[in-house]
Amino acid sequence: MDILRPATKLAAAAVCCAAVATAPARAQTEIKIGATLPLTGAESRIGGFYKEGYDLAFEEWNKKGGLDVGGKKMKLNLQLLDDTSTQATAASLADRLINSEKVNFLLGTYATNLVEAQSVVAEQNEIPYVNGGGAATAIYKRGYKWVFGLLSPVEILATSMMEWVDSEQKAGKLPKPASIALVWENTSHGKDFRKGVTEFAEKSKGGYKVVVDESFELGGKDFSALLDKVKAANADMFLADAHLPDYITMQRQYVTAGMCNKVISYGARGPEKQATDALGKEHVQYIVSAVWWSSQLADKNKLAGDFVQKFKAKYGGRNPEWYQALGYETARTLFTAIEKAGSLDREKVRQTLAQLKIPSILPGGELDFPAKFGQQVHAPFVVQQNMPDGKSPIIAPPDSALAKGIAPNPSCAKSASK
Amino acid sequence: MQHFAELFIASVLLAGLYAAMAFGLGLIYGVLRIVNLAHGGVIMAGAYAGWWLYETVGLDPYLSLIPVAAAAFLFGVVIYRLLVRRLPRGAAGGVQSLLLLFGVWLILRNIAYLLFTGNDQTLRTSYSTKALSLANASISVNRVAVFFIALAILLFLHLLLRKTYLGKAIRAVAQNPDSCTLVGIPIERIYALTFGIGTALAAAGGLLGATLFPFSPSFGSAELLKSFVVVVLGGLGSIAGTAIAALILAMVEIFSILIPGFPVYLTAAVGFVLLVLVLVLRPGGLFGQRVLG
Repeated sequence: MDILRPATKLAAAAVCCAAVATAPARAQTEIKIGATLPLTGAESRIGGFYKEGYDLAFEEWNKKGGLDVGGKKMKLNLQLLDDTSTQATAASLADRLINSEKVNFLLGTYATNLVEAQSVVAEQNEIPYVNGGGAATAIYKRGYKWVFGLLSPVEILATSMMEWVDSEQKAGKLPKPASIALVWENTSHGKDFRKGVTEFAEKSKGGYKVVVDESFELGGKDFSALLDKVKAANADMFLADAHLPDYITMQRQYVTAGMCNKVISYGARGPEKQATDALGKEHVQYIVSAVWWSSQLADKNKLAGDFVQKFKAKYGGRNPEWYQALGYETARTLFTAIEKAGSLDREKVRQTLAQLKIPSILPGGELDFPAKFGQQVHAPFVVQQNMPDGKSPIIAPPDSALAKGIAPNPSCAKSASK
Repeated sequence: MQHFAELFIASVLLAGLYAAMAFGLGLIYGVLRIVNLAHGGVIMAGAYAGWWLYETVGLDPYLSLIPVAAAAFLFGVVIYRLLVRRLPRGAAGGVQSLLLLFGVWLILRNIAYLLFTGNDQTLRTSYSTKALSLANASISVNRVAVFFIALAILLFLHLLLRKTYLGKAIRAVAQNPDSCTLVGIPIERIYALTFGIGTALAAAGGLLGATLFPFSPSFGSAELLKSFVVVVLGGLGSIAGTAIAALILAMVEIFSILIPGFPVYLTAAVGFVLLVLVLVLRPGGLFGQRVLG
């Protein structure tokens, strides 16, 4: 008996340990997904849009009983915090979600600078981090294994737009060579835009010539000197990359200076209602823009069509913008990866994300995270043009186009004849 | 030559905006020796007030300068009476005043976020995109209007400080508050009025800015920094110096584009380099430290 006593104790201890060790696994009936968004502060408007996308995705899957993880249905629980549009808060909240709230996975926030800060925390803690709010290639050039981005780089924005310009040039509507006045905000967004345009121009072998290449400070108060330079260069195309406030200020000065170029663009900006209200429909027409997604894709892509329908049903018939679409698609991608991995093991889900190739609501209809691009999606952009009727139909790429683009800008002919 | 003339006109017009935004900061520092960090918040509030009046009652932004400035004046007097008055005077109250007024700014900004969200707003009138032709250059009607209003504010301040009893009292308090008490000048009232006038000028500056570019609750930060550069360059307490410094800053920013290879995004930094140089070489400002001259 004396000999058996220690063995009995050992066995009892082992049973207890096993019970303790298996207790959390048994208790976990839901998947905790952490996220932060800029719900207050400078980016609060867009943060709210992303939240709508996340909410729709979580509601949709929870209505279906949750995710199927290795044959077991598990509900989804979104732990969403407000990062107040500041980098430091975004990073510290991500740390809190991982280490205090013990979330299984992370969804990203919005805006490149916030994603840049937050992704470092995700990488250090080795937790899959899927984001739809950081486009700058700098985020994905750091060799991170745990960070996945759904926003295509801004270089592709420039390339998609230049491909449309090129088709117009080949059709004889634009001169060859065409001169470009390139003006970009001094941010990683602007630098990527510049890279896309200049590389396209270089590869064109004489098709395009950049005659002005200037950057400007975000939130500028006066662009007259810059626009003077553009005017003096007498370029065929005016291609700028700007945020909404700078787009409005610059375009207002552009119009009052009596300027007109055969092609005019402000990068991703163009069709915003705020800009039309601020400048007047007649002063934004024929502006070309390129965005990550448009609700017009619903006509060409079944998944996008389903998403638009669900969004309208939940949000009072309102059409989603690209922000909500990216929020939804980011969450949907993570859900798909968890189901395919069949496990909540972070490494397994990371590997599944790295190899994922699924149909998508994004332009091109397919989504993957190529390792050669640092696990950043490289989907094409949709190019739109503001028309005199106030609509901004997709004019490129050809497989998504709903209308034919107009070049050269007819407003120039009108202003020249005055 | 044509290009040079266009840049010169652009600088003069931009100087008008910078001066309009800086007068209030200069006046308050000149008299109370307080760096009013709430200046940025009031600039933002002025922009929203003008926009709100235009959107709700259709009042033209330039006409709304009067009610907006009047409301801001009252707000300034209340802030002085409730908060600023309790601070230690002079250098002793330096840090406290910075913290207190920074707090006021944060409160104003967050109220704006609550009321108007973080969306960018714009003031669009029938003449927002209208232009005048001068020396073969197209000049925005709004920028010309802002310039002339800035000139009018300069003239108003000059007349107020030189020709009225209140102005003389303000200058006297700025020079020697203790002696003013001896001769019966109510210095607390003068401080309150000065803080009110400075706040009204900040709100007017914000409203003028709103006629030119979009704004959001974060509006006012860059404007405060520019105002600070202008006020220090011009010599703390010098109203005329403020106007000339605004012209110098605007010219340096605009003409820097002519420097070959100079990146345009660094134009804002040029102002700060100028600020550092002036602080090192002429700490009293380009035109010397004056008492509301």
